[in-house]
Amino acid sequence: MSSDWETLQNRSFLESNARARAIGLADPGTFTELAGPRCRLSSPHLPLLGEAVEFDDGIVTGVGRHGSRPLFIASQEGRFVGGSVGEVHGAKLVNIVRMAHQAYDRMLAETPELPEERRPAVVISFETGGVRLHEANAGLLAHAELMDQFQDCKGKVPVIGIIGGRVGCFGGMGFVAAATDAIIMSPFGRLGLTGPEVIEEEMGKDEFDASDRALVYRVTGGKHKYIMGDCNLLVEDTIAAFRQGLGKVLAMSYAEIDRLRRIGSLDKVKAQLRTLAALVEIAPRDSRDVWTFAGNPAAETLVDMKLDDFLRTVKRLENAS
Amino acid sequence: MENLIGQGRLAIDMIVDPDSFREGVVGTLQLTDEEFGPGAVVGTASLDGAICTIIANDAMTINQKFPVVYAGIIGLEEGYKMALAVYHSIEADRDRAPGEKRALVLIVDTPGNGAGKLEEMAGMNKATGAYQMALAEARKAGHPIVAIVVGRAISGGFLCHGLQADHVLSLSAAFNTMIHVMPLTSIARITRLDIEWLQELAKSNPVFAAGPDFFYRLGGVEELVDSIPAMRDRVIAHIAEVRALKAAGREDQLGPWGRGTLGEVRGGRTVRGRVMQTMNEEFAKVADRYLK
Amino acid sequence: MAKKLRELTFELKAESPSALPTDFLHYGVVGSGDMEVIMEHQELAGAVRIIVRTPVAGFDEVWRRVLERFVNQTGMADARIEINDNNATPVVVTLRLHQALAEIAEGGARHV
Repeated sequence: MSSDWETLQNRSFLESNARARAIGLADPGTFTELAGPRCRLSSPHLPLLGEAVEFDDGIVTGVGRHGSRPLFIASQEGRFVGGSVGEVHGAKLVNIVRMAHQAYDRMLAETPELPEERRPAVVISFETGGVRLHEANAGLLAHAELMDQFQDCKGKVPVIGIIGGRVGCFGGMGFVAAATDAIIMSPFGRLGLTGPEVIEEEMGKDEFDASDRALVYRVTGGKHKYIMGDCNLLVEDTIAAFRQGLGKVLAMSYAEIDRLRRIGSLDKVKAQLRTLAALVEIAPRDSRDVWTFAGNPAAETLVDMKLDDFLRTVKRLENAS
Repeated sequence: MENLIGQGRLAIDMIVDPDSFREGVVGTLQLTDEEFGPGAVVGTASLDGAICTIIANDAMTINQKFPVVYAGIIGLEEGYKMALAVYHSIEADRDRAPGEKRALVLIVDTPGNGAGKLEEMAGMNKATGAYQMALAEARKAGHPIVAIVVGRAISGGFLCHGLQADHVLSLSAAFNTMIHVMPLTSIARITRLDIEWLQELAKSNPVFAAGPDFFYRLGGVEELVDSIPAMRDRVIAHIAEVRALKAAGREDQLGPWGRGTLGEVRGGRTVRGRVMQTMNEEFAKVADRYLK
Repeated sequence: MAKKLRELTFELKAESPSALPTDFLHYGVVGSGDMEVIMEHQELAGAVRIIVRTPVAGFDEVWRRVLERFVNQTGMADARIEINDNNATPVVVTLRLHQALAEIAEGGARHV
């Protein structure tokens, strides 16, 4: 198992499937899948519509370890119906977060002085377009439940979001990701609320040309989100790099992790409003205008810059952490 | 009056005590800039003699700074403005006992979140997320939160403004209320499934169909209200009910989690519980290995 | 226009059968044009029971031929196989089934 785990580490996160990511994010040989394919908990709704099903409904959930912490893991599979959230998929995601704060309560009840580095954490690999239309109402309600569970984790259990799959993280899951404590992306990761295709369809090509892949990446991609402070760590596209990023966050105290948040308090909302006012002032036509505003005079060069060089030279917006 | 679509301000007046609504004021928050998030109406009112925070949509405005924000759409400023109203409600009652925290009443008539390039550049996901987190915090701090859908509650807009409440009410379908992720016609187009067949299927399975009745069966709406004048009394009654449940420590019957259970009771979401139970049972077998 | 997911069941027997060398195996992702498979040991008097869930109609005989060839090539016996298909071509089906078995040979690398 562990030699197997080793080979996973150097794999492209983008190219890996959800299960490989989940196994690789945990310490070697520690991942136990919960409600896995063996349980055959596939969607009861898709067959009625003549659509293909998957035994895990497009999400791998389980528990592993990260150092001395129990790590509750969810990993969405973008190749199955775009990683979309249906009733089963949503229930698995909601419950893995719930299990984490229940585990926290249990551990703290047994050991009130439990050091922070032994407390549970949650990591979610987002690869999703949001609600699954075939079971849209149930998917929608699961989003609300997730936000509720995150609130129960707040101040107790660090929740870390990872975005490095091909589908990106869009729709309602875009704000679910925004509500995590920390976000780790690769330059290939994309994060947003309304996907470029939907904006183009609703508002026209003048508003957003979704066929312009470079533009799509400039607006939703990891580099822009890093400059904005909407992601906290930008890492190379390997499972190992994401795992190291996770390790960096989980080495912090909860108070430090809380400072990585973009939203979740009155002060953070005020800071976002200051940033927003500044953006309105510069009226950006393209993310490059934002990058220049952040202090990167040669904004265009950031697009193709290697990650090491990018991280060394880039200036981020003032509030970015 | 046939319906209240686009009439968020009128709905406020019909629900709160006469002439009691003070717009832009919540605790120490005093909003004076009329151009700041005009699609969101926030303020303080008296409801059955008790102070409460009102958060509603105004469909009759356009946000001059954000051209995609009109007709009740929740844009960047609107989302943060709504969050400010919630945080200031929490702040104002910080020293009050849990049973005495002011209620928040969400009057819902929104077609969704702002969809534009600037919105995505700036991070619309944060603005809508910020408001939801604030609501979840207020709910768990003891504030009763009751939402009532008076017009449109569409997809991400409903998640943002409505689904974080303790209880969600909706005017019934007779008032043209719309609750859905997408109209069935759009679902048919995107999934390439036959519309008539989808309509037929929807009768027996509420999981994808549009309308308040289906959300009721899924537990997504606690109660359907069948007259406009009854809204006020039903909101007052639900605030009292929510308060009583909180006082009894029954938070598990409130908010999104409570609606999950309700969906099972009403037979609309029966798999959710089974999936969670499977995970819990499997984890119980290995828990000691991870938690000791 | 009722269009349900179809479920096909095949009961096959290899010419020279040998038991499935694992209790349980899962392999693959149900992407577009792809499939996943569960193979598990089940006493079936040397037979293999295969259940295919597929959105595509009219290819029952193609499935039978592909699966018969696989069972005969591998000599699989006393196994239950479940396939969730999403428009995989016969070539992809054959490839995935062999890859799944290769996983057992490699000693449990079950997530690739």
